[in-house]
Amino acid sequence: MQFSKNWLKDFIDIDLSTETICSQLTMAGLEVDGYEDVTSKITGKDSIIKLDITPNRGDCFSVLGVARELSVINDLKLILPNISSIESSFKDEMKVKASPEGPSYFGRTIRDISVNSKTLPLIAERLKFSDQKLIDPVVDITNYILLELGQPLHAFDRDKLKGNITVRTAFNKEKIKLLDDQELVLDESCLVISDEESAVAFAGIMGGKESAVSASTNSIFLESAFFKPSIIRGKARRYGFQTDASLRFERGVDYRIQEIAIDRASILLRDTVGGRFSEITSSTLKNQLPKQTKINLDLEKSNNLLGTKISKQVALRYFKGLGFAPESLKKSSISTLPPSWRYDLSIDADLVEELARLEGYDSLPQLSLSPVYKKIELNSQSHLSDLLKAKGFNEIISYSFISRDDHDLFGEGVDTLEVENPISQNMSVMRTNLVSGLVNTFLHNLNHGQDSQRLFEIGNTFSSKNSKQVSEKNTLAGLMSGKVNDDHWKEKAKDISFYDLKGVVQDLLREFKGQCVFENCKIDFLHPGMSSLIKINNNIVGFMGSLQPSYLDRLGLSEDIYIFTIELDGLKKNISSPFKEFSKFPTSSRDLAFIIDKSIASTSIENVIKSSAGKFFRDIEIFDVYEGKGIEEDKKSIAISVSWQSMQQTLKDSDIDKSVQRIVNSVKKELGGELRV
Amino acid sequence: MNLDSLKKKISDLESNAKTEFRSANNKLELDNIYRSYLGKKGELSLLLKSLGSLPQEKRKEAGKLLNNLKGDLENNYVLITSSINDKANQARLEKDKLDISLPGFRSRKGSIHPVTRTIRDVCDFFERMGFDVESGPEAEIDYYNFEALNVPEDHPAKDMHDTFYLNNKGLLRTHTSPVQIRTMEKSEAPHRIICPGKVYRKDSDLTHTPMFHQIEGLVVEEGASFAQLKGLLNDFLTDFFGEEVELRFRPSYFPFTEPSAEVDIRWKKNWLEVLGCGMVHPNVLKSVGVDTKKYSGFAFGLGVERMAMLKYDIPDLRAFFENDIRFLDQF
Repeated sequence: MQFSKNWLKDFIDIDLSTETICSQLTMAGLEVDGYEDVTSKITGKDSIIKLDITPNRGDCFSVLGVARELSVINDLKLILPNISSIESSFKDEMKVKASPEGPSYFGRTIRDISVNSKTLPLIAERLKFSDQKLIDPVVDITNYILLELGQPLHAFDRDKLKGNITVRTAFNKEKIKLLDDQELVLDESCLVISDEESAVAFAGIMGGKESAVSASTNSIFLESAFFKPSIIRGKARRYGFQTDASLRFERGVDYRIQEIAIDRASILLRDTVGGRFSEITSSTLKNQLPKQTKINLDLEKSNNLLGTKISKQVALRYFKGLGFAPESLKKSSISTLPPSWRYDLSIDADLVEELARLEGYDSLPQLSLSPVYKKIELNSQSHLSDLLKAKGFNEIISYSFISRDDHDLFGEGVDTLEVENPISQNMSVMRTNLVSGLVNTFLHNLNHGQDSQRLFEIGNTFSSKNSKQVSEKNTLAGLMSGKVNDDHWKEKAKDISFYDLKGVVQDLLREFKGQCVFENCKIDFLHPGMSSLIKINNNIVGFMGSLQPSYLDRLGLSEDIYIFTIELDGLKKNISSPFKEFSKFPTSSRDLAFIIDKSIASTSIENVIKSSAGKFFRDIEIFDVYEGKGIEEDKKSIAISVSWQSMQQTLKDSDIDKSVQRIVNSVKKELGGELRV
Repeated sequence: MNLDSLKKKISDLESNAKTEFRSANNKLELDNIYRSYLGKKGELSLLLKSLGSLPQEKRKEAGKLLNNLKGDLENNYVLITSSINDKANQARLEKDKLDISLPGFRSRKGSIHPVTRTIRDVCDFFERMGFDVESGPEAEIDYYNFEALNVPEDHPAKDMHDTFYLNNKGLLRTHTSPVQIRTMEKSEAPHRIICPGKVYRKDSDLTHTPMFHQIEGLVVEEGASFAQLKGLLNDFLTDFFGEEVELRFRPSYFPFTEPSAEVDIRWKKNWLEVLGCGMVHPNVLKSVGVDTKKYSGFAFGLGVERMAMLKYDIPDLRAFFENDIRFLDQF
C-alpha cells in the first residue's frame, strides 16, 4: 500500500521527517519499501510512503491503521475524523439481508446524483499518490474510503437492482460477469450479493457488470458490508486475480466500522455529486460476528522471555494506544480484549510481540547461546565432493525440474512427478537422474570454449509409482569429456577413456563398505559396449559409461562424453578397521601371459587365478592387454603379475613354481587360456 | 724371501697403488684398481700369503707392516673416492640446469559450488554450537509445508509463497521449515537442529530463481529466549562474515513464529534483509506434542544464495544455476 504522508495528519498531529516516520514504521513491523518526496498542490511539501504489509496486519491496510501505529509509537493522540450522520430525505423500500458468512450489511440509496461532477481535488490528489486511477466521483470516493478507513465499499446502479438484496452463497455453476468483463463460474463455496433475479456482485471481491455505475447512472445503492475472512480467502486467487477489496477482506476488516464508513462516504458524496439520501438500511447477525476472547498476559513471564523490564503502566499504555481495553489484574497479570480490527491476536505470545515491537526489537537484550557438546560426524557428501574437487571436477547445481524432452532422452523410462503449474514447459518434470543437468551444463560450457570438462552434482532425484508413491534419492553424478589433463610442453595430453571414468568411480567407491561389481548394462543413452552397471553387495547403485553415438549426433558432439551416477542413500561409509600386521618376509612374484578368448572378462581370469594360487597368494595385477599382430583374431593376450608372501618365512622358488603350475592348469581348464611362451 | 725384500715390495706396492688410485678417472676405474690391490686375489693378498716363507720370528713384524699398508691404502681409497664423487657431482650440477620457470605437470583444478561452500560454512558454525544437521524431502505435502506450521488452508500467508504443485497432490517445499516438524515428530525435545536444502517458489526474475537454497535452524530447550536468539544470530553473522557486522532486528510476520523478526545487516550503507526468525509459535510446538509449559523454542531461516552473494560479492543470482565454469572455477 502507498499513501500521502500528509494524509496521516488528518488523524495525528505528527511533525516528523519522512525518514523518521519510515524508520519508525519499519522498526514497528510495517516495512517501508521506500518513499518519494512530492509536492502537493494543496498541502505543499509531501511524500509518498510505500508499505509492504505482512498478511497478519490487515488493519494497517489503511491510513487510519498506520496513523494508529504512529500514535502509539510517538505517544500522540489519535484524532478520529468528525463523522456525523447525514440527514435522510426518504426511505427506500428495498430490504437487505445478511448471512452467516457476511453477517453485517449496511446500504443506502442516493437518488438524483450528478455523475458528471468532478472528484474533489484533495481526494483526486491523494488517490493519485496512492497509485489509484480516477474513474468517476462515486467510485473515487469508495476507493478513498477504502484507503482511509480500510473498509471496501461498493456502489451499484440502483435502477438496475431488482427487488431486495441478499447476501448468499453462490449456486453451483452460477455465472457472473464482473466489472472488468471477466465471466466466472462460481460454486457453493463463493459468496455473492444477490438481488431477486441474480447475483449482482462477487461479495467482497468485485461488483457485477450488469449493475455497475455508468455515465447514465442517476441513482446509486451504496454498500458497506462485513464479510468473514474465511469466505473470501483464496477465492479471488482461485480465479487468478486479486482486488483491493479482497486483499482487505481476506485479512480481516474491522467489523464495527461499516456504519462509520457509509456515513463518511455519504458526506463526501453529498459534497461532490449531491443527490437525495435514503435512510440507511442494515442487517446484522450479531452472533455471527467475529468473537473476540480475552487474552491473559503474565507480564513477568513475558519480561523473562524477552529479557525486558516493561512495567505494568507502560504495558497498559501500549495496549490502550493500540485500541485494546486492557484491565490490570492481580500481580503482574493483564487481561485484555483485542480490538475489532485486529485478527492476529489470540494468545499471550501475540501480546508479547506487541510489547516487544513497541519497545523496539533492537533495544531488547541479547545473550549468547551456550554451545553443547556433540560428536560431529564426518559428512560423507562433503568428503566425496572434496575428493572430486581434487580430481579436477567442478561442482554444479542444476534445477530439479527439467523439460519433457530431456526426460524422454535421459529419464531411463522412469515414471516421475510432474509440476502442475510450472514456470515454463522447460521446467515441468522432476528429474529422475542428474544426467540432463550435467549434459546441458556441459553444452553451455562447450559453447563458451571449454573443451575439456569434468562436472559433478549431488542432488535429489525423484520417481513416482502411479503418481502416489514418491521416492526421493540423494544421488551423485559426474560427467567427463575431453583430455585427461591440459596439454603440456613436455607431452601431449591423452583423451579421456572409459578407464579414466572407471578409475574415478572406483576411487569414490573405495569410501564405502561392500563388494563392488561392474556388469554390462543396457541403458538407452549409453554405448552398450562402453557402459557398466555399478553394484555394491549385489544391489545396483548406479551406472557409468560413454554416451551413445546417436545421442552425440543429436547433441552435435564429436567427442565422447562419459557419465557416472551413484545413489548415495543406503551406502555405508568405510570406517577404518584396526591395524593388521604385515609380513616381514619378501614377496615373490611371477609374470604370466595368457592367450585367451577376447570375450572373456579380465575379472574371470583374476578370479580363476585367485582361487588356484594357493594359500600364500597376495596380489594380482594386470599389466598388459594386447590384441592384434601375432595373436589370433578372436583372442587376446593378457599379462598378469601374481605375487605371494608368507607371514612366517621366505617362500621357496619350488613352492612358487608349483602354484604357477596350478594357475596355468586352472586357466586352461576353466577358461581355455594358454600360457604364452 | 727375507724381511728386507718384503719391505721393498711393500714400499713399491704402496707407491704404485697410490699412483694408480690417483690416475683413476671415475669410480668404476678406481674400484677396479682397488680390487687389483686389495681384492681377494689382489697384490696385498698375495703378499700376505707369502708370509709363510718368512722365518718364524719375522712373521709378526711383517704382518704388522702389511696391516698398516692395508689401512693406509683403504684410507687413501676413501679419500680418492670422495674426491671423484665430488668431481662427478660438480659435473652434474654444471650440466643439469633447468628452466625452472617452465610449468610443472599439474592436475586440473576442481571447485566446490559457492552454494555448497556457504552451506558448509553455516553448518560448521552451528555444528560447533551443538546442532545436528537434518534433512527432509523436497517433494512435500501440504501438512508439513503449511498446516503443521500454523498456515491453514487459503490463508493469505500462502501468498508469500508461490507454491509449485505436483501431480501427486503434493508440492515442492517452499521453505526448509517442514524439516523442523519432521524432526520434532520423530524425536523428543530438547532440539538443536540445522537443516540446509533446496526450496522452490514460483518466481523467476532478476532477483528470484524458481529453485534456491535455505538453511533453517531450530532450538527447543528449557528457557530458550528471544535474547538467546538475538545473541546466537549476532555470533553467527560475525563468524560468517569474519568481522563484526551491524545488524538490526525488526518485527515481521511468519505464521510459525511469534514474536517474529527479520534481521537486516548494514551492507554498503544500506540495510539488507538476510534472515527471518522468531520464537516458535505455541501452535507449532503443540502440533508435534512438545510440552509448552516446559520448553520454548526459537527458529530462524536464511537464504543461502543471498548470503553467498554478500560473502563473495556475486552480483547476479542467476550465475548460481548457469554453472559457467569461468564462474565455478573461482571457488
